[in-house]
Amino acid sequence: MSNPSFQGPVNRRFFSGALLAAPWALSLASPAFAAVAVGQDAPDFSATDTAGKTRKLSDYKGKLVVLEWTNPGCPFVQKHYSGNMQGLQKEFSGKGVIWLVINSTETGSGDYLAPAKLADWMRDKQAAATATLMDESGKIGQLYGARTTPHMYIVSPQGQLVYAGAIDSIPSGRVDDIKTATNYVRQGLSEALGGKAISMPTSRAYGCSIKYKA
Amino acid sequence: MATGASAQFSFTNKASGAAVVQTDQVRAELLAWAPDGVEPGKPVWVGLQLAHVPEWHTYWKNSGDSGLPTVLEWTLPAGVSAGDIAWPTPKKIPIGTLANYGYENTVLLPVPLTVSPAFGASQLTVKLKAAWLICKKECIPQEGEFALQIPVKGSTASSSSEFAAAFAASPKPLAGSGSQIEVGPKSIQVALRGLPAAFQGKTLEFYPETGSVIEPAAPWQQAWQGAVWTAQVPLSAQRSESPRVMPLVLAFEKQAVRIETPVKGDWPAVAAAATVPPPLEAALKANAVLGAVPTGSSPAPLGLVAALLGALLGGMILNLMPCVFPVLAIKVVGFAQEKSQAARLAGGLAYTAGVLLSFIALGALLLGLRAAGEQLGWGFQLQSPAVVAALAVLFTLIGLNLAGLFEFGNFLPSRVATLQSKNPVLNAFLTGVLATAIASPCTAPFMGASLGFALGLPAAQALAIFAAIGLGMALPYLAASAVPAVARALPRPGAWMVTFRQLMAFPMFATVAWLVWVLGQQSGIDGAGALLALLVLLALVLWSLTLHGRTRTVAATLSIALGTIGVWAVGPNIIKPLEPAALAAATSGRWQAWEPGRVEQLTAQGQSVFVDFTAAWCVTCQYNKTTTLSNAEVLADIDAKNVALLRADWTRRDPAITAALAQLGRSGVPLYVIYKPGRAPVLLSEILSVEDVRAELAKL
Repeated sequence: MSNPSFQGPVNRRFFSGALLAAPWALSLASPAFAAVAVGQDAPDFSATDTAGKTRKLSDYKGKLVVLEWTNPGCPFVQKHYSGNMQGLQKEFSGKGVIWLVINSTETGSGDYLAPAKLADWMRDKQAAATATLMDESGKIGQLYGARTTPHMYIVSPQGQLVYAGAIDSIPSGRVDDIKTATNYVRQGLSEALGGKAISMPTSRAYGCSIKYKA
Repeated sequence: MATGASAQFSFTNKASGAAVVQTDQVRAELLAWAPDGVEPGKPVWVGLQLAHVPEWHTYWKNSGDSGLPTVLEWTLPAGVSAGDIAWPTPKKIPIGTLANYGYENTVLLPVPLTVSPAFGASQLTVKLKAAWLICKKECIPQEGEFALQIPVKGSTASSSSEFAAAFAASPKPLAGSGSQIEVGPKSIQVALRGLPAAFQGKTLEFYPETGSVIEPAAPWQQAWQGAVWTAQVPLSAQRSESPRVMPLVLAFEKQAVRIETPVKGDWPAVAAAATVPPPLEAALKANAVLGAVPTGSSPAPLGLVAALLGALLGGMILNLMPCVFPVLAIKVVGFAQEKSQAARLAGGLAYTAGVLLSFIALGALLLGLRAAGEQLGWGFQLQSPAVVAALAVLFTLIGLNLAGLFEFGNFLPSRVATLQSKNPVLNAFLTGVLATAIASPCTAPFMGASLGFALGLPAAQALAIFAAIGLGMALPYLAASAVPAVARALPRPGAWMVTFRQLMAFPMFATVAWLVWVLGQQSGIDGAGALLALLVLLALVLWSLTLHGRTRTVAATLSIALGTIGVWAVGPNIIKPLEPAALAAATSGRWQAWEPGRVEQLTAQGQSVFVDFTAAWCVTCQYNKTTTLSNAEVLADIDAKNVALLRADWTRRDPAITAALAQLGRSGVPLYVIYKPGRAPVLLSEILSVEDVRAELAKL
């Protein structure tokens, strides 16, 4: 079964293959910086949720969709899951808004939670998201230029990205700051539901770096 | 540690009054520098020194893609006011595909104090509340409160060298007249004039103080055009700032300058957010009124009916799988022995019930354990060496019984023996249970998809799938027992049955050989050897029990004693798992060991990858490994296409492999996947044919 005489040639071929692939590696790295801009069509994606079900963004065409990047190990996520995030999820899923939570933490990270564990955490926190999606490869995160947890996005019913940025106006790790901050997601969703243009389409997201696969 | 515990404890140092806050990640100290005393017009500086534990960092005023700048809030007596932090030049800290600007090792964040003539105390009491975010890969927001007394008369200069170093590390303001930033659609064009002579012709570091304008981690270009330094820096697609002036910090080695650079041209407008058209708004309102939360679920990858049919068919095919064959043998003997049609039907029904209930029970167990957060998959029961050993014992018993070494009546209490012989219905039921236990690791083609599907379903539907698999497996026997024509086709009982029964002992022993090999993969040669020794002792005990009179008493006592000693002496070897290192070494030759992220790593290098998800206890896997995957033409194609071969060995529990299987919509092995960069992975049939593999390889 194991044939030592093969090892040499295969390794050499592998090495030259890696050399040939070097320019490719660069061009593969660049999509991270070709993220979607606000006002453009939100790129479609397909991901498995924590229950193993495949979810596509295009399944929700015609509805407002919130994308929330999460990582339960991040103190900033914990700050907003002290009630703020679940409150938003409940409030707006009651108004027909689809809420997709996405975890782009790579499997090698200490913060990585397997789907079942992540589902448990969401259940413990009494989250009211439509689905929690696994993005260990980081592909969806890179597509949207997500940098931090939390990082929030709103996709219009027409499939355009209409908001990208922070959850609120006070970048801090303190729970106390939530009540005095302007919640950009609530503001944006309320404006969109009211048929108005979103007054603050971008803001600077704050939080922990997303632990992307290198 | 990454739970965001914030350090709010602070303590004051004895006489000097310096305050230090120490956390596991940083030592923070409030320092002061007033060499000429605290007087109007004299330099008075305070500052927070952060000594980071290696690998940890805090942030600059523009923290880059993530992070937060350190915040200092001062409480000062009347007549004294604090200025802004004179931020030392940061460094770029890449984190995966992102980048931050911040500080590692030790940094001092100096702040100038302005003293007015109104201040007249003999001591200057400085109080500081500082908040910083400290990160390695994980981030911890921390806070500290500090207090310091600075004597007004006399010199406070013990921290002179720290402040001198901080001033040296801070960028020098530069007019740089004629410098400008020109805004393009996707990038900014920077042109800087009047940079220091030491910078000329050198590659410079570039730090914009305004956040959320550029992509800190993106590749960018710089060039010298005579004395003018130019750079093209990509804009962030989700830029949230549109400044008219951008303060830029440029650094070369230890020298840095800061230029407030005017921006020429208009920032590309962020496209106006689309509004919701009125009909949709009405629909949304209607939804809200109805309180109906649209689930908007995607269509299931496989309809429930299709999955049930697939499961039924898969169950039938299970009968043809090598690992079910021994049970098939038991069943054939059973049918051949039974003459009465009614008894035959009863047996068929009981067998069906046994299979069905076992499948449901296994399914329920699997679902229950999954709900409990266990990373398990189908076939998991054979991942435990104890279960494998127990099955080997069971099959040895059955084999020895079939071979005629002993009859159950010889030593079983007579009541149980008669139950066994007098109750063929119970016997058939138990055969069904046994068949299920053996069949579960052989995920036949249709079963793979059905199982993967079932695990994501509500419990009731999932159990229906498991039941359908069981029904499919029992169906041929049920048909034989119910339809006289099928039953008539079965051979008549006769003397041949004894020969046949003895022949059937060999599939049993073959199964034992396989189980010992599986155990060898899990517990090594010592475990397998121990199991074989104990099986020999088991045979000895059984044989001694078949003897009569005094011989039996002596032989049985001795052999049971020997067996007990054997279990005590070598038994632990069976369940002692092999060291992971020993396992890893087992992967050799052209196959590399699969590990999380390895596929992505290889495809990122432009290489195609073939992954064999396998396990020692999976017979289909072993068959494919020695046939198709060893086929010379297949191997030649793999070499020709330069496909990397990875083997994920699921013989023992491995949450990473279970997760990878789940990601591919499966919960068991075998599974063969071809990854090509920029393409969705292709899953191959579990009955791997040379033609299929070559056809898929040809597409690469």
